[in-house]
This record gives sequence, C-alpha cells and structure tokens, in this order.
Amino acid sequence: MASVELVNLHKSFGTVEVLRDLNLQVSEGEFVALVGPSGCGKSTLLRILAGLDEASSGDVVIDGEWVNDLSPKERNIAMVFQSYALYPHMTVEENIGFNLRISGIGKPEIRRRVGEAAQILDLSELLKRKPSQLSGGQRQRVAMGRALVRNPDVFLFDEPLSNLDAKLRVQMRDEIKRLHQKVRTTSIYVTHDQVEAMTLADRIVILDKGRIQQVGTPTELYRHPANAFVAGFIGSPSMNFLDGVLSKNSKRATVSLADDTKLRFPTTDNLPAEGNVRVGLRPEHLQISKGGKGENTLRGTLELIEPTGAQNLLKVGIAGQSLTAVDNTLAELSINQPIEFSIEADKIAVFPPN
Amino acid sequence: MSAIVESSTDSLSARGTVRRRAPDKRRVLKKRLMPWLFISPYLVLFIMFTAFPLGFSIFLSFHEWNPTSGLDGMNFVGLTHYADIITDPWLWKSLYNTVWLAIVAGVPQHLIAIPVAYLLVSVFKGALRHFYTATMFIPFITSTVAISLIFYTIYSGNSGILNQWLLALSDVPVIGALFAWVPDAMPIRWLSSSALIKPAIAFVVVWKYTGFNIVIYSAGFLTVSKDLYDAAEVDGCSAWQKFWHVALPMIRPFVFFALTLTIIGNLQLFEEPFVLTAGDSGGVAQSGLTASYYLYLAGWEWHQMGYATAVSWILFLFIAVITSVHFYFNGRKGMGGDR
Repeated sequence: MASVELVNLHKSFGTVEVLRDLNLQVSEGEFVALVGPSGCGKSTLLRILAGLDEASSGDVVIDGEWVNDLSPKERNIAMVFQSYALYPHMTVEENIGFNLRISGIGKPEIRRRVGEAAQILDLSELLKRKPSQLSGGQRQRVAMGRALVRNPDVFLFDEPLSNLDAKLRVQMRDEIKRLHQKVRTTSIYVTHDQVEAMTLADRIVILDKGRIQQVGTPTELYRHPANAFVAGFIGSPSMNFLDGVLSKNSKRATVSLADDTKLRFPTTDNLPAEGNVRVGLRPEHLQISKGGKGENTLRGTLELIEPTGAQNLLKVGIAGQSLTAVDNTLAELSINQPIEFSIEADKIAVFPPN
Repeated sequence: MSAIVESSTDSLSARGTVRRRAPDKRRVLKKRLMPWLFISPYLVLFIMFTAFPLGFSIFLSFHEWNPTSGLDGMNFVGLTHYADIITDPWLWKSLYNTVWLAIVAGVPQHLIAIPVAYLLVSVFKGALRHFYTATMFIPFITSTVAISLIFYTIYSGNSGILNQWLLALSDVPVIGALFAWVPDAMPIRWLSSSALIKPAIAFVVVWKYTGFNIVIYSAGFLTVSKDLYDAAEVDGCSAWQKFWHVALPMIRPFVFFALTLTIIGNLQLFEEPFVLTAGDSGGVAQSGLTASYYLYLAGWEWHQMGYATAVSWILFLFIAVITSVHFYFNGRKGMGGDR
C-alpha cells in the first residue's frame, strides 16, 4: 500500500493540452475514481501514473518517492487494461504468473502465488485454459489476477468493465469492491460511467478538458456540485438545467423562468451574481403535485413516458424547455396532459450562465 | 408465458389465412445462372491454362515425346520414366542441391527479416517506415534474371567487385589480418567451384527474398495490440523480453505463412541457379543443379518432354510431402488458434 501524489502535472501532445496543472493526493488504501467524458484526459493521467507515458511537466510521487523517471515495474504498480491485454498464447496460469516469471521468481513460488490469486478470483478451474476459451467476465478476472498476484503498491484500473454487458458489469463491480475491501490496496480507477464511480470509490475526481472540476465523496459531489458540469455529470438521470433570471436580497433569492414561474429559496454565500443564471433541478427531486398554489411549482405538458419498471421517467415541456422527472409513484398519466411539479427550496441549485 | 401461447394460436398462419405468391420463374433462373456467368471468364482461362495442362502433364509422363516431332511422335511407355527416375543420379543430386539451397537460402531470410521488421515497426513511424520497407522490398520486385546477371558480374573471378573488395580488405590495418588468406586464394572462383557455387546462389536468394519477408513480418507486428506491449512493460519486461515473450508468439501465423511460401518457393528455385551457372547443366559437377533446373534441361535441352513431366510430378510430390510435414508440426499454432 502506498499514497499517490500528483503535483502540477501537465501533459500536451504537440499543441494539444491534455492535462493542465493537475494536483491530487490519494491516501494509502483509498479507492479513487477518475471520471469524465471521453477525451477529458483520464486515461492519459493513468498512463502517466503507470509510467507508460511521460508528463510534459510536474511530478508523480508514490509512497513519498519521486517516480517520474522510474519504469512501471520499479514503481510497483499493477494495471488492469480496458481490453484486458491478456497474452493470447499463454494459459490463464501463465498469464497470471508472467510478471513473477519475468522477475526471476522460482516456479514453486509462482505456482503458490498464482494459486492464491486464482482462488480469490474463483479461477482455479480455468488455469489451464487460454484466454480465447474464456468468457468476457472470466478474462476480466484473469486481468485482475495478473495485477493481484504481484502484490503491488497501487492498482490502476483503466475502464476495466466497459467491454462487459450490463449485468456482468454490475456483478464485476461488486467483485472489485469486495476485492478492494479485502486487500485494501490503493486503487485508482478510470471510468466514464458515473454510476460505476459512485458505487466503487471512496472519493471521485471529476475531470473535464484536462482540469480537475471537483474532488469529493460521491455524496458531496451529488449534494454540493462545484459547478454545472459536475452537477450534470453526477446523478442518473442527469440534472435538468433551465435558463432564468436571479434576483436576491440578504435573506431570499428568486429565479424567474421564461414562463414567469418563480422559484424561491434562501440566499446562500455561493449564489452567482444577479441576472441570467442556470437553475439545476434533479429529476428525482421533482414531485408530481396537483393544484399546487404554493411556492416552487412548475407547470408544463407531459411529452413522453419512459417506464423502467420501478419508476417512470417523464419528459415534460416546461418554460419552453424539456425536463426529465422521475415518478416513483407510477401514476396513471397520459401524453399531452398538463402536469405540475413541486420542488423543495433546498434542492434548487443555481449556476452562472454558460 | 401465457402471452406467448396466446399469440401462437392466434397468429395468421395458425388460422390458415396466410397468402402465398409464386416467385417469378425468370428471376429465379437469372439468380441461379448469374454467379456462373460472372465466374465464367476465370473458369475458361483456368480450364485452358491450368486444368488441361495439369491433366496433360500426367498423361505425358507416361509417354516418350520429343515436341519437335509433333503429337504423332508420342509413344506410350507406361511407368518407365518413373522407374528411370529412381536410378537417375542427376535427379538425386538436383534434389539434394534443392534441399540444401532451401535450407541455407531459406533460414537466414527469416532470421534477418523478423528482427528487422520488429525494429522497423517499433522504431519508425508513418512515412519513414514505409520508405524503409519499400526500399527493402525493391529486390523482390526486380527481375530475377537482372539480379542474377548483376551478381554474375559481382562474383566474377578476375574482375568481380567481390574479389576486389576482399583484396582491399586484406590491406586494411587490423582487420586485414582476418583477410590475410585472400591474396593467396585469388582468383576465388565463386561460380565455377563446386564448393562455392551453392553458397553463392543462396546469398542471391537471401538478398532477393528477405525484403518480401520483412513486409510480411511488419504486417504481422502491426497487428499486435499496443495494449499487450503496455501490459508487458507493466509486467516488467525489457525490450528483448517484449520481443521474445509477446511480439514473436503473436506473429506465429505470419511466420507460418512466410515459412510455407519460402519452402514452396525455394524448392522450385530455377532462375538464380540457371543464370549464375550460365545455363550450363547446373555448373561444375552439377553443384548448382536444382530440381526445376533439371526438369528444364530434360524437357527443353534434351527434348524428353515425357521424362521432364515425370520429374515435375516427383518434384510436386516432394514439395507436397515437405509442406505437409511443416503443416503437421506447425499448423495448429501457425493457423493462429490462440488469437
């Protein structure tokens, strides 16, 4: 186990800046997820951490040691690749034990350690098979076994579940979480799937255009997003954004929407300046109401119903824009009917305009 | 479940109300004939220039025939040619030379091409790699006769540049000691000494075909996923270990393919030995006589077409047996079963 620190990390490919002034600290045994849209630089960051790419400037510190010039092996990291990167000509046993063999460890010791890793990952029956004879989930476990067997200081995962189907992904997610709870090795996990990040990580790092947007626990990011990007990225279905005009005094603030709907809530320190703003409303915070005369009621027309079983996703036209609302009551509704929603004042988020 | 049962009993076909229309007969006929029409040009050429000569050559191998005497001069001799072949010392000598050249001119091609291709793919990118690959490919697309003629002059005993270089090297300080024997051995007769002629031919073959193998192996190395090299690096592999444990096993299908082409090609060597021995019965003591060269001599120099076709069938069987052995031992892994 080791801590990981990135100091003023910068990476560019020619004139394209991929990572900019990145600073991050990961504590010993922590599970940190790097999340962001495609091309945000998360995989590049992981490769720099692994020693597969060099940073243009800045430092990588693992366990208090400056490792910029060290090879991946010298950094004692292990990496699970998106494509698994298993050696097709080797059996499962040879794949898992390959790095031990390269390190010159004796055969009996390799067999013992491969056996242990295989047992943890439920691969004991498959040791003599080649990767081509395995299912996607089994290959994924072999890739984890290869990382696990060397007892690394840091685990790096590069979108390891993205090639699996939805059901298997959930299953493997649980296995990774269980494995981390068992071995408590510092882990850095890259994904573009925010659900994966939220369920697995102790802390999440949100990246966009090469910059860290926010670092925090899943709950912090959900409840107190630092900006509209984080607010829109975290949460499923994603947050609704409406254009409005903000006015405020020392106690109360009001946002007027295009259809003159008023949303009122207490003034807080981090509210943007008066004028044009974007209001963020989470779909799960919109409650269907009837004949609402109280504050914070939105009126619109139901455009679409998407049943998902446990809940219905409602697409609603409000103030000339389209919103998504989650209906857990599975109410009997019909398309094009007028509909009202209410939202609690402390659930309204306000961000500066684009 | 009940919904499925319901729908099956309620379906149109279950109620017998599905209408059937007969297809247009002309369209069906056209659909059947069209593929034959498209492949007919090839079929005609194949029958004329491949299938018929193949069959005719079997027929011919049981006859004695001098082509200058016309088709009337064909005499049936049964298996006589095949019986004669068994006791023909020139044929056995030519087969020995063929195998010798196949090995000595074959193995180095691959031992050179594999590492060169790996370096090309791993060190050079884009246009520069294409330039180097194309440069190395040029000998392959140059006329074999032209190449052989150039090497004929290079190997020349008195005026050949090879001997002049060796002489010059013997005068160079320090390394000259390695070539001290050269002045006494001059003129080295590369093409008219039974001991040197085969190595001289083998060198030309290696020089000509290595570039072709480099192209095949470059294509092979390019198919290896970059992730595998990354994984090997994370596993702690050195550059050599990455080549040996990852890259090389990954290009097995390409090695298999290239080896197959080399085996078949080298067992049919003709132009290089023919030009380098000036078409003179395989050179001194038939040391440069290959099987293809021999069947040419039998057919076109001695006008024994029947015997020549029998030799060609023996050569075919010989190549088939050796290729089968190669497939038997290397086929499973070579066919890329793991990929």
